[in-house]
Amino acid sequence: MIKYIISGVLCLIALSSCNKILNVTSPNAVDNSTIFTSVNGLRNARIGMYSTLQDKNYYGGYFPLLSECYADNGTTGGYDVIDLNDIASRTVQTANLYTTGIYQAIYNSIYTANSIINNISKVPNLDPTEGSNILGEALFVRALGEFDLLRLYGEHWNKSSEYGISIVVTIGQPKVPIARSTVDASYKQIIADLQSAITSLNTFNGNQYISLSAAKALLARVDLYYGDYAHADSLATDVINDNNFALFGPGSVPQVYSSRLTPESVFELKFDLQNPSAYNTLTYVRTTALRTDVAFLASAGLNTFFQGRPGDVRGALVDFVNEDPSIMPDGRTQKYRGEQTKDNSGYVLRLAEVYLIRAEASGRSAGLPDLNTLRESRGLADLTGADVPDSTSFLNAVLDERRAELNFEGHRLFDLARTGNVGSILGAGVNPIMPIPQREIEGTNNIVKQNPGY
Amino acid sequence: MNRTVQFLAATAALMCCLLCTTVLFAQNQIVKGTIKDAEGKPVAGATLVIKGTKKGTNSGSDGTYSIVVGKGDEILEVSFVGYRSRLVEIKGRILLDIVLEEAKSQLSDVVVVGYGTQKKSDITGAISSVRNKEFKDQPVSNLAQSIQGKVAGILVTTPSGTPGAGLLVSVRGANNPLYVVDGVPMLSESNSSLSTSYNTTGDEEGSGQNISSISDINPDDIESIEILKDASSASIYGARAANGVVLITTKRGKNGKTEFGFNSFAGIQNVSRKIPFLDSKGFVALEEDARKQDLIAYNQDPTPFNNLYPGFDPSVLTTPLPSSWNTGVNTNWENQIFRTAPISNLQLSARGGNEKTKFFLAGNYFDQQGIVIENFYKRASFRMNLDNKVNDRISLGANTSFTYGRNRRSFNDDTYTGIVTNALGASPLMPVYNADGSYADYTLYQASWLSDNPVKSAKEIKAFTTNYRFIGTVFADIQLLKSLKFRSSFTADYTNLIDNQFFDPITSDGAPVGGKAIEGTYRNLTWLNENILTYTNNFGKSSLSAVGGFTAQSSRYEKTAVKAQGFPEGSGLENISSASTVTSASAQNFGWGLASFLGRINYAYDEKYLFSLSARYDGSSRFDPSDRWGLFPAFSAGWVLSKEKFMEKSEFITNLKLRVSYGLTGDQEIGDFQFQRYWTPSRYDGNAGLRPTNIGNPGLTWQRNKMFNIGADFEIQHGKLSGSLEFFRGDRTKLLANAVLPATSGFASYTTNAGDIENKGVEFSLMAYPVKNPHFSWAISFNMSYIQDKIKSLYSDNELIFAYADLFPTHILKVGQAVGSFWGYKYLGVDPKTGNPSYSNDPQILGKATPDYFGGLTNDFKYRNFDLSISTQFSLGNKVYNLIRTTYQTLGYSPGGWDANNNLFQVYANNATIVNKRWEKPGDVTNIPRASLIFQNYNQQSSQFVEDASFFRIRTVNLGYTLRPKHPGLYNSLRLYLQVQNLWVLTKYYGFDPEVSSNGGSNPQTAGVDYAAYPQARTLTFGLNFNF
Repeated sequence: MIKYIISGVLCLIALSSCNKILNVTSPNAVDNSTIFTSVNGLRNARIGMYSTLQDKNYYGGYFPLLSECYADNGTTGGYDVIDLNDIASRTVQTANLYTTGIYQAIYNSIYTANSIINNISKVPNLDPTEGSNILGEALFVRALGEFDLLRLYGEHWNKSSEYGISIVVTIGQPKVPIARSTVDASYKQIIADLQSAITSLNTFNGNQYISLSAAKALLARVDLYYGDYAHADSLATDVINDNNFALFGPGSVPQVYSSRLTPESVFELKFDLQNPSAYNTLTYVRTTALRTDVAFLASAGLNTFFQGRPGDVRGALVDFVNEDPSIMPDGRTQKYRGEQTKDNSGYVLRLAEVYLIRAEASGRSAGLPDLNTLRESRGLADLTGADVPDSTSFLNAVLDERRAELNFEGHRLFDLARTGNVGSILGAGVNPIMPIPQREIEGTNNIVKQNPGY
Repeated sequence: MNRTVQFLAATAALMCCLLCTTVLFAQNQIVKGTIKDAEGKPVAGATLVIKGTKKGTNSGSDGTYSIVVGKGDEILEVSFVGYRSRLVEIKGRILLDIVLEEAKSQLSDVVVVGYGTQKKSDITGAISSVRNKEFKDQPVSNLAQSIQGKVAGILVTTPSGTPGAGLLVSVRGANNPLYVVDGVPMLSESNSSLSTSYNTTGDEEGSGQNISSISDINPDDIESIEILKDASSASIYGARAANGVVLITTKRGKNGKTEFGFNSFAGIQNVSRKIPFLDSKGFVALEEDARKQDLIAYNQDPTPFNNLYPGFDPSVLTTPLPSSWNTGVNTNWENQIFRTAPISNLQLSARGGNEKTKFFLAGNYFDQQGIVIENFYKRASFRMNLDNKVNDRISLGANTSFTYGRNRRSFNDDTYTGIVTNALGASPLMPVYNADGSYADYTLYQASWLSDNPVKSAKEIKAFTTNYRFIGTVFADIQLLKSLKFRSSFTADYTNLIDNQFFDPITSDGAPVGGKAIEGTYRNLTWLNENILTYTNNFGKSSLSAVGGFTAQSSRYEKTAVKAQGFPEGSGLENISSASTVTSASAQNFGWGLASFLGRINYAYDEKYLFSLSARYDGSSRFDPSDRWGLFPAFSAGWVLSKEKFMEKSEFITNLKLRVSYGLTGDQEIGDFQFQRYWTPSRYDGNAGLRPTNIGNPGLTWQRNKMFNIGADFEIQHGKLSGSLEFFRGDRTKLLANAVLPATSGFASYTTNAGDIENKGVEFSLMAYPVKNPHFSWAISFNMSYIQDKIKSLYSDNELIFAYADLFPTHILKVGQAVGSFWGYKYLGVDPKTGNPSYSNDPQILGKATPDYFGGLTNDFKYRNFDLSISTQFSLGNKVYNLIRTTYQTLGYSPGGWDANNNLFQVYANNATIVNKRWEKPGDVTNIPRASLIFQNYNQQSSQFVEDASFFRIRTVNLGYTLRPKHPGLYNSLRLYLQVQNLWVLTKYYGFDPEVSSNGGSNPQTAGVDYAAYPQARTLTFGLNFNF
């Protein structure tokens, strides 16, 4: 009898304490279901969205640097890391961990943007102006991600290609594979997102945040890739006319990189000491660094390129002199100095690029003044019509200017690909795009198709 | 007279029977005598009962007894734990000395099972038991190390020789068992808030050295270790038992005179195997050969050179080597970072008590200096175990232990910027110090592999882990009824751990930021409450015992880290407040809870037919509230054939038991809160926000292990030969896996239950006493296991796994293969004409990290006062991916270490002497390609570096001499011994040791990778066991 009483009492104690023991809540995390139930939650998600862009694999370092070092601006160092060596030798394997990481990081940004886009209408007591601007920022992030995916993993130069991107605009069915859209459909999605972003964005919060001009500048870039030159021209003009942005003179060019959030930037991803980016540790490390310490080196070819451009103040941003012999004949970019703080920005959109977009979009005669505006601000003499007698030579001059201005900011490979120069400059047979990660092919049961050549 | 007695007693001992002095028998006579063992040592506490009566007594501490014998009392029954019971005919004698023979049979041994004990003869599950005498005195910090090679089915691997390091314990192919120390379940976790492994960009790379929380348990305090191997014995631990359970029982007080024990050893350790490296001359010669070979190749066909370096200038192959190649220095870097290091251990214990109160007290200090310079592990531990009998019904008790540990970590162990890693490959032409006494600047010398001067990083990166751990239990036993007992216990397990890391401004890690420091803390408090009812009764030939109860365990832990940089140069200040900038601060909290109901019924009929049924019902906070309870039942049965009529009389087979069991266990080690979809804090532009980090999976549940076991225990001639044979099949389903998600989901993977692994195996163990007499005895114990695991299904097949996240994939998960299968290109050898290597076109499976067969053989000899024990261990069929060899077999390669004038400054790394077997001229048949400066004549991702790591190891040799006092009472015994740990390894493996694992980690998916793990030591110790 005693046995039963004790058992009964024990069971009661047990049951009552169970819930207390088993309901453990995390003090470090917030449940998904509570995020979009208040304006504060939405604001937190907005900051988080910017934070996803800062991922080391995305604008925190690898995305821009990898594409540079696959192209002719850079090469790779490191401790004989196969996946890194494969970038420089342009023989990327489908399981390459860098291209895999970038692919995942970009979709994580898109997921965060989609969370905001899909849930913003549910947020109670949201000021319509603020809500509209946040929606615009999220649409921008989605478009930026989509476009970066298209540039790195899709045949962005060929509208009729079926090798576009997997377009995701919703959340909630994580395991359902999404097949790739055509390149044209991918562009249409990106353009539509940016057009919605342009109608939604209404506040300039500083160039560390997405603004109306940033959306216009990005759409101008997309239009240029897509071939809608007139539209690119007009959007670029809007951005150039925005008083928030201005080009520096030749003496101040290094400040674009040594200062933060200068008027040269249209959208600059800001980092700080507590939240550092990977640029410095990937490209400079320390004055006496060995080749093995530096993952992404500036190629000897970039040195030769600047040697042919006397007076170009941007040449001084590449260090080919005071380096350890093991780095030679290659060098290091000095755009990401600051070994102490490592708060180097991610340069998503700069005014100089907008000038170059307009120059290219508007063609030889109308574009030359834009090219010259930029050259003057970089310590170079104007080009005359005689220097660029035809549209081909003008396009080459623009491409050279883009290389001089935007090296190590993640443009070179895409410029070569969209102008059909990969074969002639990087070598015959070089694939202009990266493979879709092996994980994705397997994780989707081949519903996502691999790129040709991999 | 006295002499006669002595003489006669000795004779008696020799003959293993008794003789007597002939004295007449009288009624109600007092019979006196001494009980001794075969060696003549008095046996205290032995029980004497006059057969057929309730009259009895115990022998005293000097072995003497006296008992009143009445008329008709003819036979004395004498018994004592660990000795064979015997019946002695009184035959009217009044002086009766009795010799007890040590039991060879283990049938009456009491074995600790979950929530109770059982006699070995009654056990129906697969349980292995290791006693203190089998592992004591070993110079190891972790108890698991002391059972290496001693238990069938248990594979203990030392992934790193770091003092205090965690070990990889695999029970029947499943890693990381649950440890239960005196009833308190705990996991072997790496209790450190910080990584000690960073890559060159300062990011954490792997978990670094694993300091095991199990090292907090002092091996000297342990009485016995029981390993619950099959599901039927382990399922009483339900949701945490899928990987087996290791029960650790510490020593308790004894009734009788207080015994003091002083155990101590001191010794030296050094690296058991070094890798032979080229000296300066050999290094230069290799480089000259590399250039010579390249020049020959260039003259035959310059195309490959121009493809690699457009406009290649062959003068780099001919310009004389610059003066830096002729420094006159010849540094052996292994000798610079390794040392002969002392190890010592002091243990003082007291054990005693009376009928009412018993106690065990112990204090221990263990000091192990690392064989890598500067590195050490020190541990001080204290234990008090108390039992008190309040009255006939109630008794109380407490177990408390406190441990202090301090570890100077060896930095970046087993990763590519570590001390050992840098030393393997450093140029012999580089001195350690400049003439002015400063550290030589590694950038000025020939090996670009280095990330720092190895001696500098060993001395100037100061990483300490200090650990305080308290485990305390109080319990009360209440005898509710004659056959019903209730025990309630309450335990607190508290850990406070502090990490300090300081990178001096002169180290390459600290240089760019003016020195940096990281401070971290880890605090954990685990509560456990257990309430257990135990019922035992006999009904005629049936005996029944039942256990039922409720337990609740709850754990909270907190990890903090503060990083700072910029230290006043030359000030010697290292504390974080002297830094110019704090760069980050973090604090994270975690927790889990587990509530459980458990029960077990054992039924035996006539000690012949044994049945056991058990179940545990666990609720875990780690799963979604809608589905967080799980039932883990098990059943087992045994049939003691030797008690059947047809075998009962056999004097040859004295015990034969067949066992069968089947049951289900679970594994919930998935991390906290994984079922939730959650967002975590993030920052942008000085604002705090939230970003999505976990996609969550509300359907997450336990990993399950269904195990079927058939076993047989046998004993021949009362234990002259005994052993058991087990066959098992484990079906591990619903494996917790990081399943690949389409990236379009926004996440790379999510934790899910997918996949199925089948473990099959045979275990065999044998104990034999080929010779056993009072002066000489020889005991053999042998065990061998064959385990095969095979992946039956996966969430996504062919998933490539990276042992190091920023290197290439090293492993693959593939259906039909073992977990931990290596992946890469097959090396096809060297073309005898050109000396160039070739590889398969496609990557393939290159072997696996787990052995097919493993086991051990221990021989114990005793001759008079000498004893000798030799333990060996073997492993067959396992391979190791020798990643660090991709540094020391680079054959003179350099990725562009020459200047504009084609002076060769640097190559990749110095090489081991194995490259002396390289191809040198056409016709050479060898496995090592030709040397080359320009071409990489090796492929890291190939079977060139996947080596056979089968081994045979002489693990322990212990030679002792025991002194006993002429006059009892002075002291009990003094044993002096000499021991060598890890005496010798026979293996084809080229690295330091065939026992390694990447990142010091316990992940079976990336097992068996050697990235210059801290080598294992050979330890020579001299010790003493003094009992008084």
